[in-house]
Amino acid sequence: MLSFIIKRLISGLTVLFFISIITFFVLRWMPGDPATLSLGTEGTPEKIAELQEVMGLNLPWYQQYYHWIQDLFSGDWGSSYVFGEDVMTLIIQRLPVTLLLAAVSMVIVIPFAFIIGIMSALFKERWVDYIARSLMQLGDAVPQFWLALIFLVFFASKLGWFPVAGYVGFDDGILASIHSVLLPAIVLAIGQVGPLIRIIRSSMLSSLEQDYMLMTQVNGLPKTLAIVKYALRGASIAPLTIIGMQLANMLAGAILVENIFALPGIGRLLLMTVEQRDLILLQGMVIFVTSAVVLVNILTDICYRLANPMIRFGGNHE
Amino acid sequence: MSKLRQHKLFSLGLFLVLVVISLCIVSFFYLPQDPNVMNTINRFQSPSKEFLLGTDQFGRDILSRIMISSRYALFIGLVSVFLGAVVGIVIGALAATANGWLETILMRFIDGLMAFPGILLAMMLVAVLGKGLWNAVIAIAIFMIPVFSRLTYSLVLDQKNQLYVKAARSYGASKCRIIFKHILPMILPRLITQFSASIGSAILIESSLSFLGLGVQPPNASWGLMLSESRQYMLTYAYLAVPPGIILMITVLGFNLIGDAWNDSIVSRRMAE
Repeated sequence: MLSFIIKRLISGLTVLFFISIITFFVLRWMPGDPATLSLGTEGTPEKIAELQEVMGLNLPWYQQYYHWIQDLFSGDWGSSYVFGEDVMTLIIQRLPVTLLLAAVSMVIVIPFAFIIGIMSALFKERWVDYIARSLMQLGDAVPQFWLALIFLVFFASKLGWFPVAGYVGFDDGILASIHSVLLPAIVLAIGQVGPLIRIIRSSMLSSLEQDYMLMTQVNGLPKTLAIVKYALRGASIAPLTIIGMQLANMLAGAILVENIFALPGIGRLLLMTVEQRDLILLQGMVIFVTSAVVLVNILTDICYRLANPMIRFGGNHE
Repeated sequence: MSKLRQHKLFSLGLFLVLVVISLCIVSFFYLPQDPNVMNTINRFQSPSKEFLLGTDQFGRDILSRIMISSRYALFIGLVSVFLGAVVGIVIGALAATANGWLETILMRFIDGLMAFPGILLAMMLVAVLGKGLWNAVIAIAIFMIPVFSRLTYSLVLDQKNQLYVKAARSYGASKCRIIFKHILPMILPRLITQFSASIGSAILIESSLSFLGLGVQPPNASWGLMLSESRQYMLTYAYLAVPPGIILMITVLGFNLIGDAWNDSIVSRRMAE
């Protein structure tokens, strides 16, 4: 197990290295150098040259990269020239909103996906299954931002069940906070539910076909008990593998949803960053978001192995 | 899954895609109204004989704008997925045939690309390249690379030890020849399936980018852009968001259904073997 964890960490670090290379080069490619951009209208040629010197922009790229990585590890992520604040501070300020949004969305999506996925597997090729799969297809095809607009009009404006926009901080009570992100979280959940139902359904189907399910019948175990005790346990491991992917999807969805519902989270900050071409902040946010995805992937891989001792490292690749 | 149902879903998908393709083709020969002519007297008209889907905030005909937009959607969808697929397939095939460090480097690079949440990578590229149609195409193409290279990688690895590859190797065929002449035709059906399914998501990303103001730029029309413009009037005239949203959903659903039905038929054929 330990050697697996070490191997997994090393491969994760390699991935992070490539992410940093991709980010570094893509953003170096951006027209306009950071020194000119950050000085804005105050930029005289002398001032720009001076700042370029200070920012190390005259150094060869590998030295620039090295310094950048060094700074990343020491916690100095630079400062945004649009907001004039530390990148880390900006991210940490916005993070709770996005985390709450993602968490509420997960709380909605997981039980829902399990119920639908399991029902769909138990009643395979029957109407429950057909309805579930039609919903899945629709969920995959509906543009999240469109759904957000429609929900906004109907549930927030017409029915008045939710605030039209804005976020209520934790200071006003956790419930008020949750209420303010509930509608966007539902929209995010609808976008997430398709892939999750699909994997739960297929792993439940394969779990139902296992020999141990036949054994429960031979032993005369009641069907419901057999399903809850054995089939379900077998089926709940596979969905773990796509949690990393789900997180990535959720962050992508958050960019759109936060903008529509005016939630001051990571997604909204990202759009502002791209619109303003705030290189330093964009760099920091990209590294932050992708590292989170990689870390979650490593953690889920380890959990997956802990939950399922039958899988040996380097075994079947499917 | 039953053959009949597969067939039905495939037909439905094909039908939906054909509807959109014909909208696009017709738009080159005939448009009910000029999609860009503004006429404030006609603004916010409900559907009528003259304006089948009504008019928008500038009095422009919604149906004509939807038809014009279908060109961008299909163009960006097809071209970006094609570009991404070509690069992805080459990287995947290269990684699967090369051994050792090159394989590791290529696949970790792909893993790195994969860690970027869909639209984030596209947004980052748009920040660098600037807004606009071609930059959106490039951004979406790069997003498509990892899916295709991972798929190709695993498919080629699968085929590498098959008898026909060993036979080809035994009479001295070059690596390149084995890949392109022997393995690629074998795995092509799976790749085409992925191609179809990816067009749906490419169109979704395009519309999301345009919605955020980073893709197709006004006065050009795009479904995402139309939805973005409708935001201002959401509370007073929400109808504006309905037609572009529905056509977008129909398109994506159509491509997804075709991809899924193909995939299922390949899987069930393989199981039958």
